[in-house]
Amino acid sequence: MANIQFQSVQRVFKQNGREFVALKDIDLVVQDREFVAIVGPSGCGKTTCMRMAAGLEHPTGGQVMVANEVVTAPGPDRAVVFQAFALFPWKTVWDNIEFGLKSLDVAPDERKRRITQYIELMGLQGYEQAYPHQLSGGMQQRVAIARAYVLDPKVLLMDEPFGALDAQTRVVMQEELVRLARKNPRTVLFITHAVEEAVYLADRIVVMTRRPGTIREIIDVKSIREAENWDAHTRIEDVMDLPSFVHLRTHVWKLLREQQGEDPH
Amino acid sequence: MAAVLALWHVLTAVTGFISPARFATPHEVGLALRQIAVDGYSNGRLHQHVLRSVLLVTMGFTVAASVGVVLGLAMGASRRVEAVVNPVFLVLRPIPPLAWIPLAIVWLGLGDAAKMMVIFVSAFVPSVINSYTGVRQIDKPIFEAAAMLDVRGWRYWREVLVPGALPSIFTGLRLSLQASWTTLVAAELVGAITGLGQILNQAAQDIYPAMILVGMISVALCGWLMTVALGWIEQRVMPWKAQA
Amino acid sequence: MIAAPLPPQQFWRLTLIGATGFLVVWSVAALSGITSRAFLPAPWDVVTRFGQLLVQPFAGFVLHEHVLSSLKRFGMGFALAVAVGIPLGLLMAWFRWLDRLITPAFEAVRFVAPIAWVPFAALWFGTGIGGPVLIIFMGAFPPVLINTYRGARQVDIKYIEAARMLGASSLRAMTEVLLPAAVPSIVAGLRISAGLGWQSLVGAELIVASSGVGYLMVKGQASVSTATVMCGMLAIGVVGLVIDVVLRRVQLLIEKKRGI
Repeated sequence: MANIQFQSVQRVFKQNGREFVALKDIDLVVQDREFVAIVGPSGCGKTTCMRMAAGLEHPTGGQVMVANEVVTAPGPDRAVVFQAFALFPWKTVWDNIEFGLKSLDVAPDERKRRITQYIELMGLQGYEQAYPHQLSGGMQQRVAIARAYVLDPKVLLMDEPFGALDAQTRVVMQEELVRLARKNPRTVLFITHAVEEAVYLADRIVVMTRRPGTIREIIDVKSIREAENWDAHTRIEDVMDLPSFVHLRTHVWKLLREQQGEDPH
Repeated sequence: MAAVLALWHVLTAVTGFISPARFATPHEVGLALRQIAVDGYSNGRLHQHVLRSVLLVTMGFTVAASVGVVLGLAMGASRRVEAVVNPVFLVLRPIPPLAWIPLAIVWLGLGDAAKMMVIFVSAFVPSVINSYTGVRQIDKPIFEAAAMLDVRGWRYWREVLVPGALPSIFTGLRLSLQASWTTLVAAELVGAITGLGQILNQAAQDIYPAMILVGMISVALCGWLMTVALGWIEQRVMPWKAQA
Repeated sequence: MIAAPLPPQQFWRLTLIGATGFLVVWSVAALSGITSRAFLPAPWDVVTRFGQLLVQPFAGFVLHEHVLSSLKRFGMGFALAVAVGIPLGLLMAWFRWLDRLITPAFEAVRFVAPIAWVPFAALWFGTGIGGPVLIIFMGAFPPVLINTYRGARQVDIKYIEAARMLGASSLRAMTEVLLPAAVPSIVAGLRISAGLGWQSLVGAELIVASSGVGYLMVKGQASVSTATVMCGMLAIGVVGLVIDVVLRRVQLLIEKKRGI
């Protein structure tokens, strides 16, 4: 069962001798093959949550577990798609995607098969020998996604993956990710501050408060999506026109708006 | 650091892994140091050698730096000066300072004069280059402001060019000082009567590893101290500059 | 005022004036008879001597043989500095305990000018090739180590995180992430290192060699043949320049490939 469990997670950090509470009482379970998005105002600690699941940071209280094991260090079973792509500039697209597979001691034939599969899936044909700096932002992020998926990880962790892209590319990538997610369902923890993106992509949305970040509300999107059959519409603008979509989006917006009125801590 | 000393002691004195003919134990170095400081070695006591070397470097460096900085500033400020001086400078630049030693010896013999010549050459080049780039990298708006305020002549040099180029000039001075020091030691190794380099030379001939180490350590220490002194001057001259 | 660059005509005219002026002053001084022509040769004397040295052996070999001999020593010392410096720099950047162990010792030794190692070089290697190689190594090693270390330490943390996430071992992290990321810094360090190494070579050859351009100059000095000494200086300058130009092209090529 590739699930993610946040159990009473706290995160306190020290700066200039003072203590800041970044996260407080985070209790969350991402079920096997569930797509959960975390939204919240800047600095609420949503990225920190993801990084703790990845093993790049550690909670000061409570614990984070993936597949019922406590997370201690990063690894290919918890693949990360970074906002800044983090592709190795000195490696070709192919080598970048292959990098993690070598750590997993996957046989060369199997490596080739998997990489080819995802290159086709992500529309990267013809770019196998290109270097990252030769690609647009959208293409680079496609490579990063391929790199993560190809590992066949237990969970996927995405940190505002489309944040660095321009608006049009962003929309295209969202559509592609939905297609990929429906075809190849996996446990995904998706961090974003773009509400529409979360409503469009996720099965559930976790809304967080300002710092100290806690969970404000968890919204079930999947049931509404399936009931209203959003997947019948292939284009994102058609989905976003649906009343059920608008209703959900407005609800989340309102929750976030509340945060802006509150006093800063 | 202490670990290194301990290791050194073990390798030489305790186990004899490194034979005494090739290297010295810390203890022997201490003895050699005492010898040269108190009794003297190679025509003089330690402070005499140090003084002599430091004096030579300071003199050579000061003259070379003064001429070099002025020339560099002039080349930076005036395209004409640059064009005229460039051909000669371009030819002389790739020649390493140490390569001037034989020539200096031919022309000036084995004395202090030859050493001064080589020190001059080695300190001259970095001073010129860095002063030149120092002027060239002054922001254009500063020149426009100076033109608007009608600053010229001596004032122009003193209040616009020099302060603007000062950080680069000091970089050049630091490089010049290091070069001078290295060149002096080399020159003294080749032929001298007193001086730190001469200690090294003598100790090598006497097969006296402990003394060689004393010489090397003295060279390193003096070089380092002079650099620190220069840094201190730099801070006082340019209080506005944030230390990197 | 910092004027605009000179019009080409004026630039070349002044350059020519500068160059010829220098040559004229030199020639006049040489011809004036203040000293012997062996002591202060005229410019053309140096040129003729250069030609002679290419065909007539002096101090044992012809000029290009000396140059080759020097280059061989330089190559060995430089290669050794690179072979030790790059791996050590990477290891120190990755393993902090190693950094803490080595840095103090390194800083202490770094301040000793390479030339000060000559006595030990003479003691340990006599006039064998080991002596100059040691001194060249002492000159070339610090920039390589420092630049490799700095380059590796300044790697953007996102690449390190990505590498860890992708399950890279320490070895893979150093060779496939740190090393490529540090290449621009390393190559810049190589240029400095080559320059210092070449200079150290010259110094070494003045004292502990039996062939090479430095040795040539010493022998020239001993026989008061200024022209020979100057030829040596010229050869040294030219070779040093060529080495630097080659490394600069390598640097540009790498920067282009990286899309910097």
